[in-house]
Amino acid sequence: MRRIGAALVSLGAFLLAWKLVTVLGGLPPYILPAPEGVLERGVRAVNSGVLWEHTAVTLLEIVLGFAVGASAAVLTGIALGKSVLIERVLSPYIVAAQAVPILALAPLLDIWFGGGLLARVAICALIAFFPIAIATMVGIRAADPLLDEMLRSLGAGPAQRTRLLDIPSALPVIFGGLRVGVTLAVIGAVVAEWAGASTGLGILINIANFGLFDTPLMFVALAVLAIIGLAFYGLVVLAERRLVSH
Amino acid sequence: MGSNPIPSGLGVDIDGVGARFPTPGGPLDALADLSLDVPAGSFTVVIGPNGCGKSTLLRLVAGLLEPSSGAVRVGGSPPRAGDGRVGIAFQQPRLVPWRSVLDNVALALELAGVAADERAGRATEALERVGLAGVAHLRPRELSGGMAQRAGLARALVTEPPVLLLDEPFSALDALTRETFDAELQRLWLDRPRTVILVTHSVAEAVALADRVVVLTPRPGRVARVVAVDLPRPRPADLTGDPRAAELAAEVRAALTSVRALELRPWAEAEGAA
Repeated sequence: MRRIGAALVSLGAFLLAWKLVTVLGGLPPYILPAPEGVLERGVRAVNSGVLWEHTAVTLLEIVLGFAVGASAAVLTGIALGKSVLIERVLSPYIVAAQAVPILALAPLLDIWFGGGLLARVAICALIAFFPIAIATMVGIRAADPLLDEMLRSLGAGPAQRTRLLDIPSALPVIFGGLRVGVTLAVIGAVVAEWAGASTGLGILINIANFGLFDTPLMFVALAVLAIIGLAFYGLVVLAERRLVSH
Repeated sequence: MGSNPIPSGLGVDIDGVGARFPTPGGPLDALADLSLDVPAGSFTVVIGPNGCGKSTLLRLVAGLLEPSSGAVRVGGSPPRAGDGRVGIAFQQPRLVPWRSVLDNVALALELAGVAADERAGRATEALERVGLAGVAHLRPRELSGGMAQRAGLARALVTEPPVLLLDEPFSALDALTRETFDAELQRLWLDRPRTVILVTHSVAEAVALADRVVVLTPRPGRVARVVAVDLPRPRPADLTGDPRAAELAAEVRAALTSVRALELRPWAEAEGAA
């Protein structure tokens, strides 16, 4: 209860500060709309069905992209952590793929993957991949060698030791990577939409900004993205509480 | 469990074994040409100076390490880690922190292929035998050092291995509590006899438990002396008043002192030269 209270107080203070800036600065809505103006625009967007149409597409991209990216990253991270040879061979490509700006890669991936949902899922997965793979690798390497020897003494083979020791002891670190990865997946979805899509919250931002000069609508889209990011982050934290018990 | 035949142990034959490790400063011999015959069902205590390779010896018998030279045989054939013939309780208890005490003990059964519905019962029984039934559902971090060591002992005992290796099993306990647990260990062994090799630093513990005390030399470890302990069993926890025990302890202590002189000789020579 106290935590919820603190969150509400901080949200209230944020909205109040926002309102004060618009009033004291005398800013017109097309530069910085007031919070109640954004809310009113949001209600209209919900009622017309426009907001949900775009939100549903972006949500699907994030969920699929994060699921694909996180699964691939955890598997890759385990392989990287278990084998120095695999790390030597693969890590330059993984780091290079991360170092190249996703904004530059996105149009290319859009062409390669046929420009549809698949392309946007791929871009989303790629951007979430790196922090999760690296966190998994680091976590796997931190497994206690004394416990590994203990498991060997009980007859555990390599696959059993990975399941019983490496993965559970890496979980807290893997979840650190998942927290970062899930917020990046939100960015990935928007970037992917900008590279070639006709619906999605990224597209709604473009329409509001450059088509309609409807700044309050852009703020609505940004607010929804922020809420989506918070919600998925919260889900990851919830899963972490369930799975990490030490 | 009643249906299992009680094993009385397998003999352990250590034949001219060397253990060499690569280090940045060149190869290091932990053991060199060590030979020791441990009869099936006997209680052997290995004692020696720090770093004489006692733990290395146990890892060789457990099949966790291949000898660099010579051969180790358990019941006539080389041990393989986890082949079910050897159980080991490590000096640090090595409990899995995210599993309860019970699940840590049951883990040994899981890896030995015991059916899931049998594991909890057998693990509970093993915990009862080491006096930990009351803490079965705690996490390892909630245990004292001595309790954690006993949990490690329960995990080694639960599969009823014919050979049990104990690496300073009660080192986390104070001397008095340790005597009590040594007496308990003797009772466990008399209940279900098997081959035991126990490593310790304590002369009193060695004499209280052993059929034979094996004194090792400093690194590279080899057998310096074997003292047969002919005290009748069951032995009391406190042997301080027993003249024969005092005699045997003095014998072990003398052997340890002479091997320690071996270890200190380079120091004495260096001082003489200076």
